[in-house]
Parts: sequence; C-alpha cells; structure tokens
Amino acid sequence: MATTACFVIVSRNDIPIYEAEVGSAAKREDAAQLHQFILHAALDIVQDLAWTTSAMYLKAIDRFNDLVVSVYVTADIHTRLMLLHDSRNDDGIKSFFQEVHELYIKTLLNPLYLPGSRITSSHFDTKVRALARKYL
Amino acid sequence: MEPDVSIETSSMIRVAVLPIGHVPPVLLRDYQSMLLRHQTIPLSAISSFYTEHQKSPFSNQPWDSGSLRFKFIVGGAPPSPWEDFQSNRKTLAVIGICHCPSSPDLDSVIDQFDSARRAYASALVDRCFAFCPGDSQLEDGSKKGGNLMLFPPADRATQEFHLQTMMQDIAASLLMEFEKWVLKAEPAGTIVKTPLDSQATLNSEEVIKAKKRRLGRAQKTMGDYCLLAGSPVDANAHYTTALELARLTGDFFWYAGALEGNVCALLIDRMGEKDSVVEDEVRFRYSSVITHYRKSFIQEHAQRVSPLTFELEATLKMARFLCRRELAKEVVGYLTNAADGAKSLIDASDRLVLYVEIARLYGTLGYQRKAAFFSRQVAQLYLQQDNRLAAISAMQVLAMTTRAYRVQSRASIAEDSPSKKEVGSSLAEGGKMLHQSVVSLFESQWSTLQMVVLREILLSAVRAGDPLAAWGAAARLLRSYYPLITPAGQNGLASALSNSADRLPSGTRCADPALPFIRLYSFPMHPSQMDIVKRNPAREDWWAGAANTGPFIYTPFSKGDANTNTKQELIWIVGEPVQILVELANPCGFDLRVDSIYLSVPSGNFDAFPVTVNLPPNSSKVVTLSGIPTSVGTVTIPGCTVHCFGVITEHLFKDVDNLLLGATQGLVLSDPFRCCGSARLKIISVPNISVVPPLPLLVSRVVGGDGAIILHEGEIHDLWISLANAGTVPVEQAHVSLSGKNQDSVISFASETLNSALPLRPGAEVTLPVTLRAWRHVLADADTAGRSGSGGTVRHSKDGSNPTLLIHYAGPLTNIGDPATNKSAVPPGRRLVVPLQICVLQGLSFVKARLLSMEIPAQVGQNLPKPVHIEDSPTEALSSPTKMDGLVKIDPFRGSWGLRFLELELSNPTDVVFEITVSVQLENSSHDHRLSGDRDAAEYGYPKTRIDRDCSARVLIPLEHFKLPVLDDSFFVKDNPADGANSGRNSSFSERNTKAELNASIKNLISKIKVRWQSGRNSSGELNIKDAIQAALQTSVMDVLLPDPLTFCFRLSRYALEPENSSSHNSPNVQVHSAAAKGSVLAHEMTPMEVVVRNNTKEKIKMSLSITCRDVAGENCVEGTKATVLCSGVLSGITVEVPSLQEIKHSFSLYFLVPGEYTLVAASVIDDANDILRARARTKSSDEPIFCRGPPYHVRVVGTA
Repeated sequence: MATTACFVIVSRNDIPIYEAEVGSAAKREDAAQLHQFILHAALDIVQDLAWTTSAMYLKAIDRFNDLVVSVYVTADIHTRLMLLHDSRNDDGIKSFFQEVHELYIKTLLNPLYLPGSRITSSHFDTKVRALARKYL
Repeated sequence: MEPDVSIETSSMIRVAVLPIGHVPPVLLRDYQSMLLRHQTIPLSAISSFYTEHQKSPFSNQPWDSGSLRFKFIVGGAPPSPWEDFQSNRKTLAVIGICHCPSSPDLDSVIDQFDSARRAYASALVDRCFAFCPGDSQLEDGSKKGGNLMLFPPADRATQEFHLQTMMQDIAASLLMEFEKWVLKAEPAGTIVKTPLDSQATLNSEEVIKAKKRRLGRAQKTMGDYCLLAGSPVDANAHYTTALELARLTGDFFWYAGALEGNVCALLIDRMGEKDSVVEDEVRFRYSSVITHYRKSFIQEHAQRVSPLTFELEATLKMARFLCRRELAKEVVGYLTNAADGAKSLIDASDRLVLYVEIARLYGTLGYQRKAAFFSRQVAQLYLQQDNRLAAISAMQVLAMTTRAYRVQSRASIAEDSPSKKEVGSSLAEGGKMLHQSVVSLFESQWSTLQMVVLREILLSAVRAGDPLAAWGAAARLLRSYYPLITPAGQNGLASALSNSADRLPSGTRCADPALPFIRLYSFPMHPSQMDIVKRNPAREDWWAGAANTGPFIYTPFSKGDANTNTKQELIWIVGEPVQILVELANPCGFDLRVDSIYLSVPSGNFDAFPVTVNLPPNSSKVVTLSGIPTSVGTVTIPGCTVHCFGVITEHLFKDVDNLLLGATQGLVLSDPFRCCGSARLKIISVPNISVVPPLPLLVSRVVGGDGAIILHEGEIHDLWISLANAGTVPVEQAHVSLSGKNQDSVISFASETLNSALPLRPGAEVTLPVTLRAWRHVLADADTAGRSGSGGTVRHSKDGSNPTLLIHYAGPLTNIGDPATNKSAVPPGRRLVVPLQICVLQGLSFVKARLLSMEIPAQVGQNLPKPVHIEDSPTEALSSPTKMDGLVKIDPFRGSWGLRFLELELSNPTDVVFEITVSVQLENSSHDHRLSGDRDAAEYGYPKTRIDRDCSARVLIPLEHFKLPVLDDSFFVKDNPADGANSGRNSSFSERNTKAELNASIKNLISKIKVRWQSGRNSSGELNIKDAIQAALQTSVMDVLLPDPLTFCFRLSRYALEPENSSSHNSPNVQVHSAAAKGSVLAHEMTPMEVVVRNNTKEKIKMSLSITCRDVAGENCVEGTKATVLCSGVLSGITVEVPSLQEIKHSFSLYFLVPGEYTLVAASVIDDANDILRARARTKSSDEPIFCRGPPYHVRVVGTA
C-alpha cells in the first residue's frame, strides 16, 4: 500500500463530492490540505487533457514534488476520480479507478442521490477504503 | 534567480532607479511611470547624442531599426555574483530621482547621489533627475552642473519630452561606453569568472585549460555587450566564436550561456516575428541550453553554488516564450520540471522567485487553479519570513488566489463579474430554480481549501496589521464554514473579529458579512385596520373589483391575471410606519450580539429604525424591523445592514436564499436555520413596493372598551364604534358594509351617521351606533361550554365567527400637493375592518317544543269566575279585566272551552337567572276585532317565567288567537288563479295548494311569537326557536289556524240568566251552557234547550243535524256504543240550512230521568259539501260524507230531592 494517497471525486461542477485520505502514512492535517491543493490545481490540466484522448484513465497527469496525480474521467457527466499518490503502481491504480467507478455508478443509480451532491454513504466509503488497501 | 526573466532579458540594460532624499511614494511612482515609457530607445533617436570617438566595434549596428532596451530596477539591486557571466546582470546605469520641494539643499542631494551610486561599481553612466525645483534651486543647480539634471516645473507633456531627451542622452552615453568596453576587452582578454569556477588551486593541466576557456568566455562577454548595444548581428558573430571555443574546452556552463545569447540575438534580429521555423529553432537551441546547464552541474560545488538557477531560469524563459494556449501541454511540462527544481534550490528567495514566475506563467496560460496553487506556495514562503512586509506580501498574494478558490471578498466579486451577480438575482426572482443553475452558484466550492486559504489570509492580515482584511477573512471563514469549525475555533474567530474591529475606526464598513444569517421571514401585508384598496373613480362603489373580494386565495377564473403579476404588489404610504419580519440565526457556539440591524434601502426613500438583538448560541430569532417611507416612489429592500462585531456589513436576503437552496440540494454543508432548530420556510421574494402619498387613516375604537363583548345567545346589545381620522388627509368618501360570518347578527348600523360627518378632517371623530344580536352558540363548543359554565369559567367562542364591519374610505380624488402623480392614478382608498368582537355564551337551551291541545267541556261544578254568555260578542268576552282568565276562554268558533298551548321546554345550563317573557305580536288593528286579537293582553298579560341556573322550565304559549274568522277559500287558494278550473278535483287540489300556503301561514304565525328573556339588569334578548315551533306546529296547523266550518252551542232556551246568578247552586233556572254553573238542570223536569249552529263559511250549508245525549262524561260520548252507557237519547235527522256567516237556532227539550252527569253533543252531516269543507275535513274522496261535530257539553242533572 502506498504511504501517501489521497482520493477525491470531483463533480462536473468542480465540487469535491467525496474525499478520502487512503495512505498508510500517519495523517497530518497540513499534509492532507496540501494534497487537496495539489488535486485542485491538477483540475486545470485534466480539463484540457480529458478532451485529447478517448481513454477514461488519464494516467499520471501532474506532479508536485514526489506526489503524482492520476486521474480517471467518467464518461457520463464528466466526473473525475483523482488520486494523489507517491507510488508508481500503474496497474493497481487503474484497477482501483475502475472498481471505484463501478461503485460510483451504483451510487448514481440510487434514486435518492442527487447527481452532483456529496456522497455521504458510509458503505461507499468503506468500499473505497477496502479497494485502496487492495490495489494501492 | 531573477524575477521576470525572458529570452530577451539578455538584451536589456539594467538601470538602477534610486530615490534621492525624501520622495513621497506617490510621486516616486509617478516619476517611475514616466521613466517606464522610455524602456526602449530607438537607435535612430540617439544619433544626435552619439559621437563616434573611435571606429565602432559594432560594425553591423542597425541604426535605422535597432534600439536599446532598458530595464529599470527601482531601489536598485545588490551586485550579482554572476554579473561577469551575463553582462545584463550588471547595473550599467544609475538614475537618481529627487523631488526638490522635499530636499531643498541641492548639495546634499548631490552628495547623497554620489554615495548611492558608489554601491554600483559596474555603472557606466549616472544621472540624477531633480523634479520640481524652485527658482533658487534652478539658479543654484545650473551652476552645479555635473550629473544633476533639473526638470523645471512645466506641464506633463513638456516634462515627458524633457525626460525623453535625457534618456536618449543616457542611451547614447551607454552606447559609447559599450564601444569602449568592447574595444578594450578584445586585446586584453579580460578575465571573467563565475562563482562556479573553482577557487581551489589549479593543477597545471587545469591552468592551461583555463587559459583556453578564457578566450571563449571573452567572446561570450563581448557578444553580451553587442546585444546590449542593440546589434544582434555582431553579437551573433561573437557568440558563434564563443560557442566553438566553449565546446572545445568543455566549458558547458559558458557554452549554455553563449547559446542563450545566441538565441536572444536571433530573436532580436527577427524583430519579434515568430514563425514556426524560428520557434522550432528556439525550442531546439533552448533545450540544448537547459541540457548544458544541467551538464555543468559539479557535484563538489553543489553545497556552495549551483548552476541550477540558470537551468531553471532557462526553463522559465522557454516556457514564457512558448506560453500560448495551444502549447499548454508543453508549457505545463516545462513548468512542472521547473517546480521540481524548487526543492533543490538552496536560497529561499530563489524558490520564492521561481514560484512567483511559475504562478505567473500558469496564469498567462489560463490555468487559474495552478496559478493559485503556486501563489499559495509563494504566500507560505512569505509567511515563513517573520516580518511585516513579508506578511503584507503574503496577504496580497493570497488575495489574488481568492478568485480561483472562490473565497473572494464581496467587494472584488462586484468588480469582477457583474454577470454572475445578475445570474444570482434573476435566479432568486425566478422562484423555481433548476438544479443545474443552483449548482452553478456553488461551483468549485472546495471547502477544505477555502478554509485553509481564508485562515492563511486571516493569519497574514493579522501579521501585516491590516485589521479590515483580517475582519473580512474571519467573517467569510465564520459565515461559510462554521459547521467545519470546532466551537473553540469559532470562539477564536469571534475574538479575532472583535480584536480587528478594535483597531478599526468606528463605522467601518466591510463588504463581507459575518454573522448572523438573515432571511426574510414574512412581509406583513397591511394590518386589516389600514388595508389599501385600489380606487376605481368611474364607479360609485369605487372599492369594488379590488383584491380580496373572495374567500379564496386562488380562483381558477382569475388565472390569466395571476400569470401577469407573479410578484406581489405592496403599497406603502409616506409617513406611515411599516414592518418586516426577518429571521436571524446564530449557528455558532458563542453569544452573538447584533449591535444594530436595520433594513437597507438603496433607493433612499426610507427611514429604517435599528434594533439590537442578542442571539444565544445555536439559536434563531424572528425580529421585526420597521421604518417609515419618506418619499413617493419605489422601495427596494435587498437586505439588511448589520452592525455586528464592530463593523457595518450588508446582508443580502438573496445570498441566504441561495445558500438555503444549496443546502436542500446537498451542495452546502449545512442550513444555518435548520441547525438552529428553525422550521423550514419557503423562500419569500421581496414584493414590488411602491410608496404613495399620504392617505387618510381611520382608527376605530369600541366605546366602552375594545374587549370582546360577552353575550348570551340571542342577546340584543347596542354598541358604539368611534372612528377617528388619524391621518393627515381628510376622509371624503366612506361606505360601511358587513362581512364575515354571522352577518345577520348585526341588526343595524347607522351608516348615515358616518356619511353626515364627511368630510372627516384629520383628528376628527365620529361615533357609529351598531345594534347586535348574539347568534346561536356554536354546537361544537356547546358541551364544553356547558361544562365550563358549571365550573364558572367563561369560554370564548372562536374568533372566526365574528361579523366584521367593512368601512371603505378615501381621501380627495385629486392630490393637491403633488401634481406629478395627478395624471398617473387617483390615490387609492383604504379599508378599515372593524371586527365586532362578540363572545357568545350559551344561554337558555331549548329542549323541545310541542303543541298541547285540549278541550275542556263545560264542567259543571267547575268554578269559573267569569262565565261568558254565548250571545256575547267574542270581543266582549275577551275584555275581561283579569288577564289570567284570558288564557282559558270559550273558543268563539268552536263554542267550547278550548286550550291550545305551545309548550317550550327550556333549560338553563348557565350560571345566571333568566326570566322569560312571551309576547305575541299581532297584525294591524283592522283585523283585531275579527281575529279575537287581544293585543294588549298579549303584550303584558303573560307572566314572566323565571328559570334558575341549572334548572329547566316549561313555557306555555297560548295559540288561541290565530284562528281566522271565516273559513273560505282564500286560505287555500291564495295566489292560485286556476282555482275555478281545478275545483272538481278536490283531493289533489287540497294536497297541492295547502303545502306552500301552509308553510307561509306557519311562518307568519311563528314570526308573531316572540320569546324574550332577560337576565340581570341589562342583558336581554330573544330566543331563536322558530324551527322548533315550526316542527311542533307542522302537523296540526290547520286545527290551530282554521275555524271549524260550523259552531255548535247549547243553551237553555227559557232563561237568559245573568252571569252572577249562574253560580247559585240551588237556583231552578239553571242554564245549560258551556260555561255552565253548578247543578243547573233538574231531573224529572222538561228542560227546553236550544242549539245554536253558526256557519263560519261564506257558503250556505245544508245539513242534517243530530243531537246526542249520553250519561258519559268526556270525549268518547259520541262514537261507538259502549257498555257503560246506561242512558242515552238521540235526536237526529233535523235538516237545517244555515246561511253564510249566520246562525240558526233549533229548539228542543230534554227530560232527564236520573240525576248525574250527561254529555250533550251536536253533530251534523253536511250535504253537498264544497271543496273548502272537504279540504278542511281532510277527506280522501269526494263521496265521503262530511261529518261535523261540535264539542261536548256537560250537563249536570240534579235530583229534585
């Protein structure tokens, strides 16, 4: 498992609808904030890059210091799954994204979930963390 | 590292601009802006200042197209250790700027300038510009000469021209210096060194190598000067040589430097034209530059000095050169690499410069979030330095990031994007918002980042000593992110707010609102006492057609109208206070004191009254804000102005509405009102408010107290309502009408009193009498009232059942004071609603009514004080002085003692005593004599019945007065013109016609009966028991109302005794009479008698009369043969004819054998009965004989012994 990893789902309106620190490193508040700042900044690059390829998985698109941002763009409403990590396990990240995407689609199918609002389901959270342990 | 580097930087001459003496910052900036216009001096312009001393080394100088470039560095810069490597890093000229009025002594100015420029050893030219010199200074200065240049006071254009000349002079001087330098350098082979070169002792091999390198470095330096002198071709030649030499000697650092100069020369030569060929060339050469800088990295020097900064600078130059949207990916790559280099940089200020440049380039590229990220990195570096200036810088840099992080101050939003603001307002007006548009309001709300940024702004503002910025940041933080902040943190923010406010002057305004959250709670319409009604001058009833006529808020018929005016309209009146309810919420964990809050009205025609509110933690409160409109026009109320935490802020309702919408969509963290426990409220839009000139204002007051009047059911009460004009305009029109429930309980109101008082001047008063009658007690309350009545408490009936008086009134039609409004509209009228507060208590309760009917045969021995002769006219009989006697009397039409009572059973569940008076109102006097109507007797004759509390009583109402005098068809066939035609069909005729007519007569009858009650001294009323009476009378009304067609009476024919005599028991001449005296007939004696038959119809009746006498008392003396009958006699078959309305006598004699009680009954069978008789007798078929029977008469036969 990666020592540092921060996973965020960003809705099409650039609102983070799900945030999770999934790294095994000790959690520090300022580090977590920096992670979010990096991910937020990477949106600029995703926004251009997403239109240049048909692939959903955009691989590592940005980095700051040792931290790499990998992004997976869903086809439906341009929701971005963004992972900040320091490991280079490309295949694992790809699988992680694909499985989380499935989870996300299941959430979308919930008639009580309003697309674009925060995902507050604890079930989703548990699953994502389990996937992070499995793949990252 | 240096800021703001680009490829062209190599060709710029660095000029230090130093303020000499005291120069006010504003003026310094002004002078600097004048200098900045002369960053580029064309070579063609300086030729006049240029003199060629020797042959110029710049053989290919483009005098017609070339130019010298300056880079002004205000305040100068310390000499760089790298200035030998890149000549553009040398400060080649020094310009002093002096503001003469603040430094009067020119000598000291010259001294200061001299000492200042001494710090710049490399400077080739220095000048001191002195602006605005006085006359003496001008004189003085012209003598001084030297480097001091005085700019005589003149207009700006002249000064600029003067400055231009000066700059051209400087440029020419520099050019000549460059020439000198290049000429000098070539033969000598100047020694140039960089910090990179080893300071250590060199071995022999290295010494030789160093000598070889020196040539190449000299060539590179000469190339630099050529470039500075504006001659790219010459520069290129030198650079080419330098490149060759550097490559041969493996001097990678200088190779890269020469290559950089080479590229710059190429670009200068191309005069900025950028085709793809040039671009590719530049890209290729610069990647080589970067590679060679990297190659020159020497591990052993890494601790002390590193060429990394040059590599990064080259990367930034490349990025800046390519910085276009199309090449974004490439640029991002360069910038990412540059950012990676940051952690290897030793010097913190280098890192600062690097981040600043990266941020700028991302910004140029349009990557706002990237730019914001690096800006924040810059701010963090600033914050690491612990001084005020750094904190100010940090604050300013962070302020630039607020837009990307969507935490802008309201002030900057207003400047930036008016369109966004419009979107918000139009959405709020639209009422129903689409989900997407709501979402767009909360786009990029990345709360974690926003909180961090705001906290950093707060921190830097506190350090920088900017209380307003600190206040704004803390306010934004607290308002937007209170759910994410711990109570301790919230308290900290609150104290930060108050600390900042302590350092601000009082009355400071801030664009960013803090707490509390304010939303519109309700917009009270006018209270019903001062409702405004549109006036239709064309109609008499000018208020008609105005709003609120129906009970329904929505009527399907007015659909079209509803669409056109979706927003409510509200009219306010100049000078009359208005109120608006707002709800404040404090979702934080500290006590919030709002020093003042009032409505903010930008239109300015409204005086708002401030109020102070204290909000405990996690609470919300509804507050009434009031104010007075001051002038005619429209009023817009976008929000409230709040003075809280020492600063005045503007809170807009729209923002909170949007926030609440976002909360419902799950886009915002929390709804501040819900977490305070306030209920959800639909969003209320601010109505269109227009202010109209003053109107009259009627104020009503119930004389004798405004409380509810407590009345028992049916009580009649007089009320005086006093109306006063409290406005400033007279009332000229007024109309009173009734509305609401139980309108019939208002018996009368004197609207003419009001009309006669018009016009009602301001301050005048008029009193309006109203008569009320309490309605039936509400059934639902009846049992509770019954219980409470016994408990002694008073229960008020519901408010909704009260009737209201509507008074529509208006001022003069034309407005005298304001001619502008004359043509637009007539001033509206008003409506005053005076609710008649009546609390109806349960009064007497009616249990049941029934008709009691009895006939008392003339009971011998019954001692009646006033027997009446049958011969007497009925009216005489009724004029007996004792009124009690009137109750039982001979029915003149039937001829017997008849008693018909309506018995009302009443109970009194209340705690007061009632007295019941029954009165029967009779018709006009013309009918009196015939109707046997003793009106006077009716009015006062019946005694009062007293019903104590919790008792019940029966009240008897005698009904004998209602018989019609004549049985004619008028009763049955009133208003029926087809009577004659229908005469053959009897039964159907009677069925059909009686119904309606009967009902009418019953109503008529009932309306005459009034049951009044009185309780206490001044409480009186009337029982409403019409329905009950009607039900009781329904079946037997005909008997009550109609006389029998025939009246039979018996009397003794021989004697006509005086009434006094009849009482004597032993008198032999006893009259057999319906009102007979005791023991009047003797047995064994022939008793001559007469039967008197009276015809009550208008037709002649032929009949066969029979008289029966039996020894049985009571009613059943006619029908059947009973075993108990011992003695009987029948006289039958007497055929008589009675003319209409006449009576006949038939004499006969009886001989009683046995003394005892006998009953005498007359009966007759009517021949050829007509329809009326049949209807009266209720016969089924026309063949049935009509049998008419008189009442029984008692005969007491006394034995002779």
